[in-house]
Amino acid sequence: MNRIYIAGIDEIPQRCTLEDNDLLQITIVCPPGYSSDINFAIDLLRPGVQLDLAGLYFCTRGERQNFNITVRHMVGGATSHQLFKGILGQGGSAVFDGLIHVAPGAGQTVATQQNHSILLDSASSSETHPQLEIYADDVECSHGATVGALNEDELFYLRSRGIPEDEARRMQILSFLSPVLNRLPEDKQKFLLDRL
Amino acid sequence: MDEQQLLKDIASREYGEGFETNIRQEFIPKGLSESTIRLISSKKGEPQWLLDFRLDAFRKWQRMTPPRWGHLSRLPEIDFQDIIYYAAPVRDEDRPTEIDPELEKTFDKLGIPLREREALAGVKPKSSVAVDAVFDSVSVSTTFRQHLAEKGIIFCSFGEAVQNYPDLVRKYLATVVPSGDNFYAALNSAVFSDGSFCYIPKGVKCPMDLSSYFRINAAGTGQFERTLIVADEGSSLSYMEGCTAPMRDTNQLHAAVVEIIVEKDADVRYSTVQNWYPGDKEGRGGILNLVTKRGLCKEGAHLSWTQVETGSAITWKYPSTILQGDNSTSEFYSVALTNNWQQADTGTKMIHVGRNTRSRIVSKGISAGHSDNSYRGLVRVMPGAENARNYSECDSLLLGSNCGAHTFPVIRSQNATAQVEHEATTSKISEDQLFYCNQRGISPEEATALIVGGYAKEVLSRLPMEFAVEAKKLLSVNLEGAIG
Repeated sequence: MNRIYIAGIDEIPQRCTLEDNDLLQITIVCPPGYSSDINFAIDLLRPGVQLDLAGLYFCTRGERQNFNITVRHMVGGATSHQLFKGILGQGGSAVFDGLIHVAPGAGQTVATQQNHSILLDSASSSETHPQLEIYADDVECSHGATVGALNEDELFYLRSRGIPEDEARRMQILSFLSPVLNRLPEDKQKFLLDRL
Repeated sequence: MDEQQLLKDIASREYGEGFETNIRQEFIPKGLSESTIRLISSKKGEPQWLLDFRLDAFRKWQRMTPPRWGHLSRLPEIDFQDIIYYAAPVRDEDRPTEIDPELEKTFDKLGIPLREREALAGVKPKSSVAVDAVFDSVSVSTTFRQHLAEKGIIFCSFGEAVQNYPDLVRKYLATVVPSGDNFYAALNSAVFSDGSFCYIPKGVKCPMDLSSYFRINAAGTGQFERTLIVADEGSSLSYMEGCTAPMRDTNQLHAAVVEIIVEKDADVRYSTVQNWYPGDKEGRGGILNLVTKRGLCKEGAHLSWTQVETGSAITWKYPSTILQGDNSTSEFYSVALTNNWQQADTGTKMIHVGRNTRSRIVSKGISAGHSDNSYRGLVRVMPGAENARNYSECDSLLLGSNCGAHTFPVIRSQNATAQVEHEATTSKISEDQLFYCNQRGISPEEATALIVGGYAKEVLSRLPMEFAVEAKKLLSVNLEGAIG
């Protein structure tokens, strides 16, 4: 099952549980031109369930984006993967607060979380709190977070092949976002790209 | 072997430094008020400015509340009126300049020689480490001072520094950790009793490692030491800190402040092996270790923190660096081991202010028994920190199913040219690793020690030789019989 939520258009549930489905895919998109506060908590209640959660956010012109994501492994044997990617420019700022909670006794849990953001200029800022709270020993949990700029070498490579700077930067941004962007159906991709 | 049995074995290990020294000591009455502070200050014969500093800090402290944000559910409400704020061994009137033989024996037993025997006999000293030994509220001895003074290095107790080098102390005191910085730093600023002071002049490479050794002995007391280290332009220093306390059923408070000023192009390595009494296997007693450590790096300076945390019932400690000067660098390497009912909430703060500043964080947590082990850190890139670079790595290892391992990092970047990376993993010792060792005839216990040793190696290899040996011993003792 694949659910897609676009902030400002769809209503994003604040709490949900994962029990019936074997695999649940959720994609949350925050398009540019919109500040939002997203609180999302999900409890994994049955062994064997898989959660695949991804998010995409753009913050431009002084917008603020707040993410508060909680994934709770209440029983063992479940898997969760999270991937959040953000682009921040022109004074935009984002706070990503993500927690993986593994309850006592929830062994054989596999949980990962990744948050990557790109700052396009120094007027923008990014804040990340990737958190792990683990009370069971037989688990594999990890999180990764990076904050950086677009790679200058890549830009040089593209420009030396005759691609104008603006176009090259756009390509870089698209490739950075593509792992999450590709989860969206074509019409929604187009909707987003038109607003970039 | 039965896993449960093995886990019980770790819990029942002995704390070798838990003895108490019987010595005549002088105490001031319990409780904390302005008059307590005036009494401490007059006992130490302090100048007026220092008393004013203490009283100012005390007034700030009165308006503050203890921080509760740490992941430390077992941190008790501390009754600050139920603590003795000053305890000192009484000097023998017949021999006012000599160290009490009982004290000397105590430190010998702890492996800290207070006499420069080998050096005096003209033989090359076995260990080239100068020690400032602090017993409860006072520094009892500082070794190799003469030798260091030849190079212009000042290494003495904080109290002596106030008497002999008031200008230096006044210039640098509370410049990195202001008196109202946080609840425990304010308390320390009000009641600190002794600690170490160290000044390395311009361009001097300190010929030997310097170290402070803190010993809590008296019951019902708290230890509030203050360390101030100043490395002037182009100098370099390796500093070590060790600590132990007797076994008791009640908690004792240790609230220290360490300030390090690293001037232009200077290099300081600060290493800690923290082995305070961790409490018994039911979680009774133990030291509450609530300390503030911070360094300030000027242009091109380098500060490296290495810590091995194995003791204390509660650890609340975040050695931090302010990378103020351009091109300054800092590192934080930590191994924190918690067992039984110990709780540790420790990590670092790296604040990038200058351009081209770089920092690296490597934290390894190991939890066993019913303990909780948290990494909490901040990497902050200010708008002016062009090309700042940070890499953080936090790994947690869980031994047993009743413990917890947590990671709470905060990354705040306000500069587009900065690159910040953070990664963390949590796991247990895998069956495969154990099986590999077992089939080669290595027992599960040895295998666990081996794997944990390998896991912590990146940090342990950063420690000065003398310390690395001790730290390895501590880790293996604490993990005796451990299996995940």
